[in-house]
Amino acid sequence: MSSRSPVAAASVAAPFPRRRRPLGRRLRRASAPYVLLLPASAVIAAVLAYPLYYLVRLSFQHYGLFQLVRHKGEAVGTANYAQIFHDSLFWHTLLRTVAVTAVCVVLTVVLATLIALLLAELSSWVRLLLTAGLIFVWATPVVVAVSIWSWMIDFEFGVANWTLTKLGVGNFNHHDWLANPWSGWGVIISLIVWGAIPFVAITLYAGLTQVSGDLLEAAAIDGASRWRAFRDITLPLLKPIYLIVISLSIIWDFQVFNQIWLITNGAPSPDYYMMAVYSYVSAFKISEYGLGSAIAVVMVAIMALISVFYIRQMVRLGDVE
Amino acid sequence: MKARIIAAVALAAALSVVVSTASGGNNSAGKASASSVTVWLMSDAQNGWPTAVSHATSQFQAQHPGVNVNVQYQSWDSVLQKFDASIAAGDTPDVIELGNSQTAKYMAAGAFQAIKPKNYPNSSTWLGGLKQSCSYGGKTYCVPYYAGARAVIYRKDLYRSVGFKRAPKTYAQFMSVGKKLKKKYGKNPNFSALYEPGQNWYVALSYVADYGGQIAVKKGSKWQGTLNTPQAIKGLTAFKSMTLALSRASKTNDEAHPYPSIPFAKGRAAAFIGNGWEWPYVFNPKGGAAPASFAKKMGAYPMPSHIRGRYLPTFLGGSDVGIPVQSKNKSLAADWIKAYTGTASETIIAKAGNIANSTTLLGVNAKNPALAPFARAATYSWFVPSAPNWVNVESANILKTMCSKILTNHASVAKAAGNTSSQITKILNAKS
Repeated sequence: MSSRSPVAAASVAAPFPRRRRPLGRRLRRASAPYVLLLPASAVIAAVLAYPLYYLVRLSFQHYGLFQLVRHKGEAVGTANYAQIFHDSLFWHTLLRTVAVTAVCVVLTVVLATLIALLLAELSSWVRLLLTAGLIFVWATPVVVAVSIWSWMIDFEFGVANWTLTKLGVGNFNHHDWLANPWSGWGVIISLIVWGAIPFVAITLYAGLTQVSGDLLEAAAIDGASRWRAFRDITLPLLKPIYLIVISLSIIWDFQVFNQIWLITNGAPSPDYYMMAVYSYVSAFKISEYGLGSAIAVVMVAIMALISVFYIRQMVRLGDVE
Repeated sequence: MKARIIAAVALAAALSVVVSTASGGNNSAGKASASSVTVWLMSDAQNGWPTAVSHATSQFQAQHPGVNVNVQYQSWDSVLQKFDASIAAGDTPDVIELGNSQTAKYMAAGAFQAIKPKNYPNSSTWLGGLKQSCSYGGKTYCVPYYAGARAVIYRKDLYRSVGFKRAPKTYAQFMSVGKKLKKKYGKNPNFSALYEPGQNWYVALSYVADYGGQIAVKKGSKWQGTLNTPQAIKGLTAFKSMTLALSRASKTNDEAHPYPSIPFAKGRAAAFIGNGWEWPYVFNPKGGAAPASFAKKMGAYPMPSHIRGRYLPTFLGGSDVGIPVQSKNKSLAADWIKAYTGTASETIIAKAGNIANSTTLLGVNAKNPALAPFARAATYSWFVPSAPNWVNVESANILKTMCSKILTNHASVAKAAGNTSSQITKILNAKS
């Protein structure tokens, strides 16, 4: 850093024949950050930008099996979009996706906050135990987790039915959790929230450790209740973390696919469609790749809007400091 | 503020997963080279008649020494997506098995190489139904592989214990034995008189056919779903009352989750509706590993119709093998198919409980009392509409959903059938 200005000064003062090398060096120096960014940009272009471009292009084409065999789509303008916007299934799915996302995010954040607060209060070895448990949940691959949950709610031999029956809650023998979409969604939402809590809880706990004990103590001396102290001291201090975890949770939960697909054995009824499932069924199950792409594009657009909101918040936070 | 640093760390940790969404999976069919042929067969062959496959391969390799045959077994619920992905990647298998209700879409799309039937063994005596599923626009695009009919596989000893020394001949007898079994053994909460997975739509539609209903009919150039007709609704209603009365299988799973042979082998079911090959599969470790003593206790009978003297029409399912148009080893692929669908391999396939691809081999099981009921069951049969888009109805799980809704009382039979019918109309008429 400190060597920059002398070099720049020398190059300006130097006579013409000698200017070349310093100019080259200057250019090299100026371009260095861009050169360093190149590999990452190339990777992002290859794995994100190009597929996205291709997705948008596909969404304006009729692309079925016939076109797939020939590797060539048939331009149809906005017909795919017109079709989905006139399809009640699309609107139902969109509404369901928003509702499920909202429920999942609220449950995740509230429960994770409670766990984080609990972690802060615990003795160190219990905290270690609980943290290890959380990490195990976070580390469990979704496919494995769903298999475990499937077994727990199994129709014939599931431990959930057995326990509920033994506890005298009712006769849960042969209770089919997925038969009724309400109880089915109850299971799926629990599964999603269960998997999402560890990351949020541990992140929030990390934040809590940074809240100065002096502030809370001062508040307590001034007669503030613990709830009041949490609301007026802890919460504002943790706002940046909350913004991050809420935004990320929205992005994750909005595109949930695996949990639904696996727990229904790859045959979800439309009652279990979320946007990602609906898009997948349209594209890969009935070979309407153009239509499936159009649904995916709408999904990407909604996610982009959420991201804009989130990035704006981040920038604002930066400004305040 | 440290909170921001933590937030940034959290963001970085999260970014690694944030971009993951659903994808079709990358299923490379393997590198094409002159020294290997890639074959996709359904797992039924692996479970039921692996010796037919190895026999064909050794016959093929005697003709082409040093050529490797790479047989990859597929499952019914994902094979088409995998095949589509391989088409998109231009890296298809050299030989692929498809169900006879799946071929139409692929032939119409030009995904298969046309073949000359006379170059293939027994082509003059191929089963009519299968041959038809390989013809499109006057050309032949695949080779018939095998067909199958479903019958009731049951425990003779349990039937005898409730006073039925012989298999039921009428529908009333069928229901009566079931109800008696349930009364006698029903204390075990997992016992089914007939283990009938709710989403087994082949059985549901057999009832539709039995009451004179159809899935869809072609009017002019348009298809019209007809599950909303009175006949179809009657059939589905009969299906519902039978299933609810006799079965304790899950109503939201299909006949592969679990295989009905498993509860049967474990003694939790007195009967199930299955293909011929599912009889020996009961003894397979994956099919339930029934004790050897079951062999003497087992029997089969064609399911009786509600019309006296007839059988419940069975789905005439079957499979064909074809050569994808993108295959780089078409002549090797053809030679492997010739070996696999020739008399020797087909005889093994038939003995495993199937109907071979040629009428000349129909006698193979005539003397086998275990398999004869399946052949008799096939005298009354039904098949799916011949629309190229039909397989999309299967793939979108429309019929499975209908069965679940009906059996869980989530919708009335008429309402579920009506919705399903209009969905079928929409899919069959979609531009392909």
